[in-house]
Amino acid sequence: MSRWAAQLCWSILGTYVAIAVGVWCGLWGQNYDLAGGPKWGGISSDYWLGTNLIGQDIFARSLTSVATALQTGLMVGGLATMAGALAGACAGYWRGRWPDRILLWLMGVIDAIPFVLLAAAIAYALGAQFIAVALAMILTLWVPVARLVRAETQKLRTMPYVESAQIIGVSPVLIILRHILPNTWHLLMAQGLLVMVAALKAEVVLSFLGIGSQASVSWGVMIAESTQEVASGRFNNFLAASIPLFGLVFVLGSLADFFQSRRAGDSRASGPMQA
Amino acid sequence: MRDYLLKQSLNAVALMIGVTLLSFSLLVYFGPDQTYSLLGKNPTPEQIASVHQQLGYDQNFAERYLDFLKRMLVLDLGYAQSSGEAVSSLLARTSMISLALLLPGFVLGHALALLLSMLSAQYQGRWPDRLISMASMVSMSTSTVVVIIALQWWLSSSGDSGWFPVRGWSTDSVIDYLRHIAMPTLALVLVSVGYHIRIYRAVICEEMGQDYVRTARAFGAGPVVVLFRHVLPNCLLPIITRVVFSVPLLLVSGSLLLESYFGIPGIGKVSFDAITNGDQPVLLAIVTFSGVALVLVQNLADALYRWVDPRLRVQT
Repeated sequence: MSRWAAQLCWSILGTYVAIAVGVWCGLWGQNYDLAGGPKWGGISSDYWLGTNLIGQDIFARSLTSVATALQTGLMVGGLATMAGALAGACAGYWRGRWPDRILLWLMGVIDAIPFVLLAAAIAYALGAQFIAVALAMILTLWVPVARLVRAETQKLRTMPYVESAQIIGVSPVLIILRHILPNTWHLLMAQGLLVMVAALKAEVVLSFLGIGSQASVSWGVMIAESTQEVASGRFNNFLAASIPLFGLVFVLGSLADFFQSRRAGDSRASGPMQA
Repeated sequence: MRDYLLKQSLNAVALMIGVTLLSFSLLVYFGPDQTYSLLGKNPTPEQIASVHQQLGYDQNFAERYLDFLKRMLVLDLGYAQSSGEAVSSLLARTSMISLALLLPGFVLGHALALLLSMLSAQYQGRWPDRLISMASMVSMSTSTVVVIIALQWWLSSSGDSGWFPVRGWSTDSVIDYLRHIAMPTLALVLVSVGYHIRIYRAVICEEMGQDYVRTARAFGAGPVVVLFRHVLPNCLLPIITRVVFSVPLLLVSGSLLLESYFGIPGIGKVSFDAITNGDQPVLLAIVTFSGVALVLVQNLADALYRWVDPRLRVQT
């Protein structure tokens, strides 16, 4: 990706962040659940993108969804990437020994259960609430990160500087934290962004299944609402959710590519999951 | 060989224990209390106690887990809460429908992705490559749900030719079958092809940079011969990995969303209903068996690698 394209991506991402900050500060998108307008109202000066079935402001709902998406993405992306980095580094450092075996087994088990079904099972146990969704996402999305970091750690472990540190008696924990993980930085950035992408796309599927936070609004909730509307020719809700969703996912994916291409010659790393 | 088989089966058994342990804990042990769904109104304490005993609530975790394993082994999966049908027959009946629905799209998606990524690798850095990479990025960024809704709108608005039904399922004749799978297949290909291309392109590009490719070219081999005779066989390993790991996508996002939107009575629709209604016996069977099936498929793939690539047989 060219420098110019990367800058464009960063500024689009910045716009999303600015919108979310505005929502968090209470500047806009606050009345997203106020059902004050007409049923399926058209575009007007009061309702910039019209209203939905029960008269809620679609524009406000889409703005609030930006904040929801970034909250979910940052939380899931951050936690899953951190967990994956630590687990992967430990597995790679003690390759073939028991920490590696246990972690590989755990990853194999989680990989074997399809994401949506695992999420459904967790939601069944905990009840359909935000924590169930977040837990399901983190529980599945740390695995691909860990696999990549494990492979990278195996390479780094044989580097002279790691061997020197081992010889002068630096503890393994310090070696992992200070000498190995910092060198996986580009990998982690790319993976973190891809985890965010996966979380955003998974959220749409889970909302459609009725698993997820009922208290707030998200693009997934809006798309689920719009399923019936589109068939009868009402596109406001559908477009107001799917276009910004596509934009954010596209930008995050492109930035992940950018970080990946800055690592020497390894473009094989793939997205953590698809939904 | 015997060592390999032993190691591999031990590994598979360990994974299956993990999968069943997870599904048992989430759906049975820590799941909601089933007592009252089995009892009528105003149950007596004796009735409650007898149901508790029947469900095993008076036993500890290990006893209940072993009991669960026993029932899974003999396929005693209970009855669906919604329809009362035996879960084993429900799954057997509906999984065939899903297979018929998804297989064409699965094969087409991978075949198309392979062709496009070979084209992309052939013109690396030039406009066909850029175009294909861009298209794959767009495909990856689009949510399956959005694609399905848009396709259904397009179907229902573009003059009611009735050729491709928006909902329903029929396998009365080959024509009928093809009509019903056309749109779901298109949707499946659209959303999966981007991810496949991404991986295949990277694999093929890496292989194209190898010395043997340069040598083949120097000997005057054309691009088609180089790609199909030299590069493709050497890419088989990552390609098999990709195909195997896209099975969960097929199983879940594929069947679940496609079948519930297009009204097709396959296993995805059954899962959708079980998830939205909290139908525990069905959910338990689907989660457990998809996990076990995937472990089997992945182990099979591992055996396949060794068959495809003789180098692996020497290493271990």
